[in-house]
Amino acid sequence: MTDRAVMRRRDFWTSIFLIVVSAFFLYQTSLIPFFKADAAGVQGAWFNSAALVPFGIFSALFLLALVLLAVAVKDGGMAGALSARAMGFTKAEAERLFCVTLILCAYIFALVPRTDFIACSALLITALIWGFHSGNRFAMRLSTLAVVLPSAYALIVRFPRDQWTKPHDDDIVVIVAFLILTGLMFVLSRRLGVMDRVVRITPVIAVLTPLLLVIAMAFGFRQNVPNRQGLIFSKIEYHYYVTLRPFWSGG
Amino acid sequence: MEFVTTQIAGFWVALAALATDPVTYVYLIASVFLGICFGALPGLTATLAVTILTGFFSNKFPLEQSLIALIGAYVGAIYGGSYPSILLNIPGTAASAATAMDGYPLTRSGRGGEALGITTTASFIGTLFGTVCLLIFVWVLLLMSQNIASPEKALLALFGILLSGTLMSQDLVIKGWIAGLIGLAMAMVGLDPILSEDRYTFGWSYLLSGFQIVPVLMGAFAIPQIMDGLRAATMTARMPQVGRIVPKFGEVLRRLPGITRSGAIGTGVGALPGVGEDVAGWVSYGVGKASSKEGSKFGRGSVDGLISAEAANNAAVGGALIPLLVLGIPGSPPAAALLGALKINNVIPGPTIDPALILRVVAILVMASLTMFIMGLFTARIFIMILRIPQTVFLPVVMVLTTIGSFSVGGGVNDLFLMICVGLFAYAMNVMKYPIAPLVIGAILGGLFDETFRRSLLISDGDPSVFFSRPGAAILLTLNVLLIMSQLPFVRRRFARLKRNKETTA
Repeated sequence: MTDRAVMRRRDFWTSIFLIVVSAFFLYQTSLIPFFKADAAGVQGAWFNSAALVPFGIFSALFLLALVLLAVAVKDGGMAGALSARAMGFTKAEAERLFCVTLILCAYIFALVPRTDFIACSALLITALIWGFHSGNRFAMRLSTLAVVLPSAYALIVRFPRDQWTKPHDDDIVVIVAFLILTGLMFVLSRRLGVMDRVVRITPVIAVLTPLLLVIAMAFGFRQNVPNRQGLIFSKIEYHYYVTLRPFWSGG
Repeated sequence: MEFVTTQIAGFWVALAALATDPVTYVYLIASVFLGICFGALPGLTATLAVTILTGFFSNKFPLEQSLIALIGAYVGAIYGGSYPSILLNIPGTAASAATAMDGYPLTRSGRGGEALGITTTASFIGTLFGTVCLLIFVWVLLLMSQNIASPEKALLALFGILLSGTLMSQDLVIKGWIAGLIGLAMAMVGLDPILSEDRYTFGWSYLLSGFQIVPVLMGAFAIPQIMDGLRAATMTARMPQVGRIVPKFGEVLRRLPGITRSGAIGTGVGALPGVGEDVAGWVSYGVGKASSKEGSKFGRGSVDGLISAEAANNAAVGGALIPLLVLGIPGSPPAAALLGALKINNVIPGPTIDPALILRVVAILVMASLTMFIMGLFTARIFIMILRIPQTVFLPVVMVLTTIGSFSVGGGVNDLFLMICVGLFAYAMNVMKYPIAPLVIGAILGGLFDETFRRSLLISDGDPSVFFSRPGAAILLTLNVLLIMSQLPFVRRRFARLKRNKETTA
């Protein structure tokens, strides 16, 4: 199958998606006052309405999506659109992509808001390097599981926003997951005979990168950092202000 | 003449102030080094370098220091892309894709060091050329921009999005336009700029202030790179021998006309709203092939071919800052990230911009290009070593950098949610061959377009003739219409037929 044929099949589905989305937003735009757009003490008319430009944008999007659909159908994009290879990915590629997406979503939606940033970033770095460096499918699946399980725990047990920062049980789960994954990485790499420099340096990168970054951001650049009440960061912050600062200032 | 001397005097004052401050060197060396590393590592881009630094510096540092860091990284990254292009035939950035055409054949013939040296020199001269043009044309355009009112601004923003969509599309042009429209649609979220009407927030108060620029930039540029890099196979680089890097002075002098020509093309293309370095490199390469004495050798290891691409993509940096400073319309995707940094610091580019800021930007560009030149010639072997780091090692680190950078701008966890959603969407667009640059430019210029379009109609009491009764607006409207018309199938067929007829007659 040529790249062009795959692209037209993808375009077929994309154009349908765009038609539905633009139609939905055209409906949403119709809920914004158009002919009587009085607001904030300003007398409104159609040309002043907040819906004017969005109407133009979504109408243009709708029309261009129709044109894209016509191009896709004309070039044979509809013929194989329902076949298994319509999206043009191999099974291995799709699995790899699915795992990357799952890890990134678990990290952003579940771990960063709820768990210690240093711990969850160390877990992420280890999972991404070991899971995707060697091309070993087992390592990839295991790495994904090592991120998804603690994420699921944090998401289920500490779902409400008021519990994101207080208890540290999810932090401990993440640290345990990181340690188990690192241990498995060494054991399996040695057993498979792929104990290269990347494997040896992974734990160092995994721990030092978020640690140095958070310390530099919080105490050097005075920037906001995620989850200040996290298990590790709260200890660092405490010792920075209670132990180190008085020591530096001679107190 | 008085104008020129005043400009030169103002520039020297800004340069002297910058050069005598020791902090400048710390920021310059660190940011140019980081920029070259980002450019040299395939999978990381100039836009990503500027975007990540925008997240880090945000509004918590003095604007001047932020600008040194961002411009230093921008200049360094555009140059850094040449390393993997020349040594490995893998363009480090899209801007250096044309560099690989002649750079890699030169390396294979044992002239890698010579190629790196001449590239560094051409990049340096190209950046300086773009900077000089910035110093001259920004004032000319600023004077002209005094007459630019809402109708012209609206049409210019639309032109930038359309042009970017047209030129950045790898597949169908319509996909570039769709990407631009999606960007515009993203800018419609939140309270509208005139009536404060709530639009598409679906009850989520975070969206009332609209999509924040930094998470959108991070999501659009970083997440797709990370996902694509991890999906692809690991890069195993075997470094070739490079030899002497510092070029001979006579060789540079001999190539100067070619470098100047490429610099002029790069600046011109860079100044087009929303186009940038990628297109500049290819346009200059094409012109170079047609006009150079060794045009027939292009693609087989021609030094002229190499400098055509490299001088142009670096000159485009200065060019891209012209519409950014004069009109608030970025000339390239990294310039869009720079605009984000200016907006975070409450600097509104346009006719009311502080003239001292422009002179400071010019002085920073000169200092950054000089730093890049020195680093490129004397520390090139460090960057060659960096090329050995596999993507699977540095991309996870970039993910952590992106997360903390996006978080620290101010929106907290909600910014991270926005970043990952935009990132997944941008990745899907990448897979479907939709360009990302028009989306980002649309998202940045959407607010300006909405406000100025409606204000124009408000002033004219709903009379649409305001968009063609003013000379400037009429020209811009014509350009927009011509751009759309030029892409219509029957117009393209007609042009192709005319071209064929001409060739047959000749």
